[in-house]
Amino acid sequence: MTSHPGEDVAAALIDAHRRGWARVLASVARVTRDLDAAEDATQEAFAAALDAWRRDGVPATPVAWLTTVARRKALDVIRREETLSRKLPMLIVPEDDHTPAPSDDIDDDRLRLIFLCCHPALGLAARVALTLRLVCGLTTAEIAHLFLVNERTMAARITRAKKKIRAAGIPYRVPAEHELADRLPSVLTVVALVFTEGHTASHGDSLRRPTRVRLATELAAALLELMPEEPEVLGLLATIRLAEGRAHGRLSENGSLALLREQDRSTWDLGAINEGRALAEQAMRRSAHRGPGPYAIHAAIAALHSEALSYDATDWPQILALYNLLLSIQPSPVTRLARAMARSMVEGPAAALTEVELLEEDRELSAYNGLAAARADLLHRLGRQAEAAVAYERAASLTNNEVERLFLTDRAHAMRDRNSL
Amino acid sequence: MKYMLLLFEPDTDWLSVPKEKLEAELDAHGEFCRYLEERGITFSGAALRPSTTATTLRPDGEQMIVTDGPYVELKENLGGYYIIDVADLDEALEIAKRCPVSAGIEVRPTWDTSG
Repeated sequence: MTSHPGEDVAAALIDAHRRGWARVLASVARVTRDLDAAEDATQEAFAAALDAWRRDGVPATPVAWLTTVARRKALDVIRREETLSRKLPMLIVPEDDHTPAPSDDIDDDRLRLIFLCCHPALGLAARVALTLRLVCGLTTAEIAHLFLVNERTMAARITRAKKKIRAAGIPYRVPAEHELADRLPSVLTVVALVFTEGHTASHGDSLRRPTRVRLATELAAALLELMPEEPEVLGLLATIRLAEGRAHGRLSENGSLALLREQDRSTWDLGAINEGRALAEQAMRRSAHRGPGPYAIHAAIAALHSEALSYDATDWPQILALYNLLLSIQPSPVTRLARAMARSMVEGPAAALTEVELLEEDRELSAYNGLAAARADLLHRLGRQAEAAVAYERAASLTNNEVERLFLTDRAHAMRDRNSL
Repeated sequence: MKYMLLLFEPDTDWLSVPKEKLEAELDAHGEFCRYLEERGITFSGAALRPSTTATTLRPDGEQMIVTDGPYVELKENLGGYYIIDVADLDEALEIAKRCPVSAGIEVRPTWDTSG
């Protein structure tokens, strides 16, 4: 070990936080059986690392170093509170009399934490918040920002969820195989939400949040190691990889948003796309016997977009058929909207506009910028530029993402200019 | 840990339902109890008379006011309960899924007051 300049230590610590937070926390929770105590000890270990690594250099295995220190700190606390800890009803940890070495093949500790955080006995909002807090190591302030609530509200929500875990006896383990089918949808929802937020941030100055995308990718990959045959897991990972493969095309050279129609397809990451296509194909093949689930269908749609040589050459009838299938198993207003847009490419914008205007009566969608943007696009394609401008303006007013807002405002201006010609 | 399974269902007058229906219901619960015994789970429980037989007491200053009917009027009422002693919520939920029920089951951990 050699002495490192400050930046190296900081970078190593950030990297260890990203890769190791959940593993350290999970490993400590196994000892303490108490999430709050485990979190405290993990935080202390990361704080201690800053000093120690500056002084002694970054250790060869930073995550192992952090785990050892965090465990030691937690055990100190437990020893101090020995009599008390005997009486506390803690997390239920079976087979905890041994402490298995952190394994590299299946990230078991992290999976345990995911399944704990995504237990169906917790509300969906609490599941996502807990996953971001415990598995991804985000601060309460960051999560509050993400959900557009104040920090105190989010802190209360997380505390309530942790209390329920302890009081209701939600176990801390990867579910048995026969339980997985029941539990999986909940976990997939949370991972998909983390990804969606990373792909198009709900607010802020940048379109994407690459760290969230990376977290979602890692979580989906960890799930796939646990369930290599599960089509829905394959589908989710495929969708993430395909979206990542096209991510570079979504921003044009001047940093503004580029729609799929206008994207320079040579900027796409073919490695990620090929990987995503292979996963999507596996997802559809493996689900043939029971019919594909929503994640497999989403993956198939993304694969069709990704393999088309141009926007017009896209296999729109096939995409429309997949949306019809999706709608039959998981009807939602957002799917209806996506289906209507695919339909506009097959049957023309007029038919789709009627459908989109019907959706405006849906209360769930009325504040969704995607609906106004879709309507604007159809109006524009029908040559009704003045109305398109108004719809683009409405869409712009409904997004909190600065890149999206600029894009939509620009479109509104373009419609007005064209109209005045 | 001990969990209470609260069995909610529409009020049923079990004294006047057809004999087959009552027997089917009793058989279902008998089978559930055998399942619990086979798994070696300690349990207790009872079926409750319909909510129309309930009487509620509410404090009112120094006094208790006694009124006819259940504490909360619902479409579905508490029709019976089991208390089971199992390892964790997952086991409790797994068992609750085997329990005969018509409207819904609420699963709640009990406080451990044994010291």
